[in-house]
Amino acid sequence: MERTDIVTKLTPIFKKVFNDDSIIITDGLTANDVANWDSLSHMLLIAEVETGFAIKFKLKDLNKMRNVGDMIDIISSKL
Amino acid sequence: MVFTSFNFLIFFPLLATLYFLFPTKHRWLILLAGSYFFYINIKPVYALLLAGVTLSTYLFTRLIDNTPNESRKKTYLVLNIVLILLPLFFFKYFGVVNEGIFGLLESLNVRWPLPSIELLLPVGISFYTFMAIGYTIDVYNEEVAAEKNLGIVALFVSFFPLILSGPIERAGNMLPQFRARKGPDYDMIVGGMKLMLWGYFMKLVVADRVGIYVDAVYHNIGEHNGTSLLFAAALYPFQVYADLGGYSLIAIGTAKILGMNVMDNFRRPFFATSMAEFWRRWHISLISWLTDYVYTPLSFAFRKYRVRGIVTALLITFLISGVWHGASLTFVIWGLMQGIFVSIEALTVKPRNNFAQRFNLKKRGWYIAVGCLVTFTLFAASQVFARADNLQDAFLVYARILSTSGPLFIGVPSILLFGLFGIGMMMLKDFTDEFMPSRFLLFENKHKPVRILSYSAVILLIFLIGVFDGGEFIYFQF
Repeated sequence: MERTDIVTKLTPIFKKVFNDDSIIITDGLTANDVANWDSLSHMLLIAEVETGFAIKFKLKDLNKMRNVGDMIDIISSKL
Repeated sequence: MVFTSFNFLIFFPLLATLYFLFPTKHRWLILLAGSYFFYINIKPVYALLLAGVTLSTYLFTRLIDNTPNESRKKTYLVLNIVLILLPLFFFKYFGVVNEGIFGLLESLNVRWPLPSIELLLPVGISFYTFMAIGYTIDVYNEEVAAEKNLGIVALFVSFFPLILSGPIERAGNMLPQFRARKGPDYDMIVGGMKLMLWGYFMKLVVADRVGIYVDAVYHNIGEHNGTSLLFAAALYPFQVYADLGGYSLIAIGTAKILGMNVMDNFRRPFFATSMAEFWRRWHISLISWLTDYVYTPLSFAFRKYRVRGIVTALLITFLISGVWHGASLTFVIWGLMQGIFVSIEALTVKPRNNFAQRFNLKKRGWYIAVGCLVTFTLFAASQVFARADNLQDAFLVYARILSTSGPLFIGVPSILLFGLFGIGMMMLKDFTDEFMPSRFLLFENKHKPVRILSYSAVILLIFLIGVFDGGEFIYFQF
């Protein structure tokens, strides 16, 4: 799957989890840029992404996600 | 040795001078020797425990680093965590478990011949054990490389500004700083001294003076009316903030003078508008430690249960936070209360946000003020359990607040007045820092006379109304 396809698939997941229709996904996007992105919604996001892409993260993967770009890299490595 | 002792005022300038005179390559040796001297000064035998925790952590982190075998890495990780938690559990919880078993057997008419043992908790053990565990997990997760120099690991675990009550630092931040070869930095030294000065103000003027009033009321709950108990319950959060917050500033300032940046421990907590936000501003180093090493693995394990899994992880994390503070039912309830508050917020976040957005409330002054007030009230209500000696006392405080009234207990008027004055100054500073960070600058004013006048005024206030025969820091007991 191309990065752009991953972004397309990620967008509705982000909008749903963070309850914000205006979110635009970029590689540099971090939790600081999104109002409702805290340690609680983060785990919901992780769970929704896993279901959406039918993949499983490892706990170590979470530590490596500094921004959405890292997350896309990790998703792409599992597809 | 404690920060508020006369000994520290001699020890620290001497150590700092020696530190900067020593060749940069070996300067960490001075800090290590100084840290052990500082700790041994409290009770020599406890330094053995500290050395044991250090040695175990050093050996197991090296083993984790050196083996390619994943399951072995995990075994070493678990072994070290269990090993270094043993003394903490023994000193902190043995008495309670012992009493529990004793009581249980007695209720079954079995007499247990062993007498109950009251152990004195080695001061700082909860803090340095958590730092050592964090370091071990970071090495396991490949967040930091295992340090090859035993001396540097020993310094990390025993670093004197942090050992007694935190902030609970991370190896990733501290280890490179111990190795850095920098000369004395004027800005860091002055910045550190400013933090220390404000820390001493918070501790000596606010915490210890307010503490006299709060202690007077809590020592005699049955004799005081609801008005006084409500007032003391409202004062106690300010006392704890000034106590641990003041301690933290002195610790951070001390490290800063030596050229090291240590994480913040408090960020104007009473201006949080929700409990979730409060816990990102209060005792930050403990909560972020628990978030990274307890909450995240737990919520990750429970993630398939979505919100229910997260709430369970939250409750367990705050329960552990409570039990970390003390092995008592009061702290279990205290921890559960925090978990319940934050969980309710998490479950209602969407409707609350929609409501605030719809009426454009988030920037309204009164909406922020109500949020701060509700958050403070919830926290103050939970702190009754942190302050009361036992469950009966805590419930008695609530019962008397609800059922009795009368005139406010004043005690010695100057104590209360100076205490309230101190709280006022502390909150005024937090208020301007929070809402108008570039205005009303005193310590950071660009005009030198204003700065000097401000330092002098705070020093004068400390000497005039500070409490010098005051007690220990509250967090030394944890």
